[in-house]
Amino acid sequence: MRTALVVLFTMPCLAGAALEMLPEYARPDPFGGLVAPDQGARNAPVVLRGARGGWISLQFVVKLPEPGPYRLDVRLKAPDGGIQVELFREWFHWVPRQKRYYPDALVPVSLPVSSRLPEPDNRIEKQTAQAYWADLWIPKNAPAGVVRGEARLEAQGRTERLPFELEVLPVAIPEEEIPTIDHNSYGSSWLANFYKEPGESDQEFFSSDRFFELIHAHHRIFYEHRGVFHQLGYGHGGKVGPEFAPALTGSGRTRRVADWMLFDRHYGPLLDGSAFANTRRGRRPIRFVYLPINPEWPASFLWWGEPGYETEFVNVVSEMERHFRAKGWTQTYFELFFNHKKRYKAFPWDGDEARFPEDDDYFAEYHRLLQRAVPAGSPVRFLFRNDASWAMERQFKTLAGKVNFWVLSRSILSWYDYAPKMLKERGDIVWFYSGPPPVTEVSSAVTKFPLTAWMWGIDGYIHWLTVSPGDDPWFAFTGGDTALVYPGARFGIRAPIPSIRLKLQRNCVQDLALLERFAGRRPREELRSEVAARYNRSQPGDWWTRRPRLADTPPYEWSNTDIDEVTDLDERLFARLDAAAWQRVRDWVHELVKEGR
Amino acid sequence: MKPLVFILAFAAAGGADTPSRLEEVARIASVMVDGDVAKRIVTERAMRYMLKQDPRDPYLASDNYDVNHEAFIQTKKTLMRLARLVDFPSDVNLWMPIPTDPPRIHLVIRNVNEFSRFWRWGALHQEMFPEMKQVLATGKPLTLTDRPGWVAVLAPVYDSRGDVVGLVEVVSRMNPDPRENVK
Repeated sequence: MRTALVVLFTMPCLAGAALEMLPEYARPDPFGGLVAPDQGARNAPVVLRGARGGWISLQFVVKLPEPGPYRLDVRLKAPDGGIQVELFREWFHWVPRQKRYYPDALVPVSLPVSSRLPEPDNRIEKQTAQAYWADLWIPKNAPAGVVRGEARLEAQGRTERLPFELEVLPVAIPEEEIPTIDHNSYGSSWLANFYKEPGESDQEFFSSDRFFELIHAHHRIFYEHRGVFHQLGYGHGGKVGPEFAPALTGSGRTRRVADWMLFDRHYGPLLDGSAFANTRRGRRPIRFVYLPINPEWPASFLWWGEPGYETEFVNVVSEMERHFRAKGWTQTYFELFFNHKKRYKAFPWDGDEARFPEDDDYFAEYHRLLQRAVPAGSPVRFLFRNDASWAMERQFKTLAGKVNFWVLSRSILSWYDYAPKMLKERGDIVWFYSGPPPVTEVSSAVTKFPLTAWMWGIDGYIHWLTVSPGDDPWFAFTGGDTALVYPGARFGIRAPIPSIRLKLQRNCVQDLALLERFAGRRPREELRSEVAARYNRSQPGDWWTRRPRLADTPPYEWSNTDIDEVTDLDERLFARLDAAAWQRVRDWVHELVKEGR
Repeated sequence: MKPLVFILAFAAAGGADTPSRLEEVARIASVMVDGDVAKRIVTERAMRYMLKQDPRDPYLASDNYDVNHEAFIQTKKTLMRLARLVDFPSDVNLWMPIPTDPPRIHLVIRNVNEFSRFWRWGALHQEMFPEMKQVLATGKPLTLTDRPGWVAVLAPVYDSRGDVVGLVEVVSRMNPDPRENVK
């Protein structure tokens, strides 16, 4: 049976035209080869095996030696277990820095797909290969066993068939997101840059149903890829975007909410889950959301240190608690989070990545204010989140019992191997922060973050600025450093479209969720050892940095250079990562499932 | 024609007398903002790092930026009160020179509307602007309406010796973008 599921680069030839299958991690180029970082995956087998409630991915490559039209179809044969096929055309991004093409953006296409080579809108001279990403969704009720399918290419007057088989495992992927992958963004003005119609005014755009639907579409795409989406709604000076906070009125004792309309229009469908009603994962409220609270909202900084600050803060935050409770928004974590830095000249303390000891006092005061505003036993879940780097070890102590959600520098957290257990035993949520790897790194690079979170036993991580693919991602790409979705407007799609990196990340996280099924049955350290060995021949201890002497000096005396010099995590663990690294882990997880261990 | 369009536009926002009203705020600011306190806002340590450059660490200066909280808060509250003297959105920002050759200047305190005719978002310090140099040298306020949609008034800040040690930028903007710089 196993051999039937492993297809070795099947390449039927039809007078020069060919259809090829590739595993998800071997990214093709537009000339029939693989991109340079994934060359190690040349001739890698395509293993199509997955669990219920999850996805299997593969790639089809259409190759035509001469320009011309073609038609591609992918069908499953009955009985297909309800498995659904989604196909995406892979956009080849020109990266001027390397003078090379990399595929990443995935443009949804309907089956069968008819096009031609060279692909007209991608504008690649002498293009001879077009890749398609296939996502196969396995419903939760799909029967275990083998499902057969066939890809069919029609070109140059002939038809060629490429059969394949996939195996549905007799288990379902747990719904819980382990780890949580967060995708961050700031404000909403970028949506106008991508999606505002010619001649449409800002006021028309930002008050339209389409604007709010676009926000919800971003939440949906990350949710469907087993992630969450964050949109910070205020600036470093305390300015709050209109749809991120209720409108306020009054001052001092009369400070109160005047209007919930825009806030509810924005957040209502997210907080009651209705924005996700038609997704494969089903309707569920978002798990996390930033509150608009900052030093200037809802209380004016003019009253800081005076009774009026507490009055304004407690009045409005209490109203928020009552509003959320009345609406039944009790399944989401509402985050009190400070993003401002004193370098941006609006406030005297760092809310984000605090460095100087005196700044910790402000956190303590906001904890006190939050306690005053939110009644004990409220079903509304407020968290006090702190994004920490330099001073995390100091703040673990000074803010114990106050901050209960930590988002931490990955480099510096790697010095403190005791921290996850200590924080988790307090009941705190622990993430680290990162940026997605650019497309110019090996395909498996995007799996290093979910795996690090799992190896460290923490709850998740956050990718910074995941909606910003640069000025011209299509023809002058910088590598998509931080973006994991692209604007679909170019293709007539009023929604974000996914990327290969987002798909690879999702597939990795669903494997980790599956692996967690075994955490109670086998020692966790044994699981970590097996995974680390298969991933990059490492051991669990290798995933930490030996505590440097720097850690015992005041953080405000460190520089980034100092930190880089004592943190060699990326060089040791990931510099020589190969494209198939995660596939080896996946194969082992599937072995565990099949053996019932 | 352009000045007429500009005045009419402001008539719809802050009023046709916006420049004169901001000039009045600036005049009061010159009296109310304490230049001795303003000089104490940025810590000596932060000033020492301000102009340091490390090719391996582009954030060296900004990571070491720090302020004396009491001086900052006292001055910021004064600036916020000044902005409340008009009934349309305005900010009163504090700028201080850096004694370098050539001279530079840095924004020390800004405010909630994110208005500034001069600040390049995120800059720790900038080249001295000729308009600011003029105000620092002469002690005379200056009203700027050259950028469409903006009115800014620069006015001197004095210390107890009567020296001009900084300046306020009293600024408003026609049709402010409620989402700009929400980042």
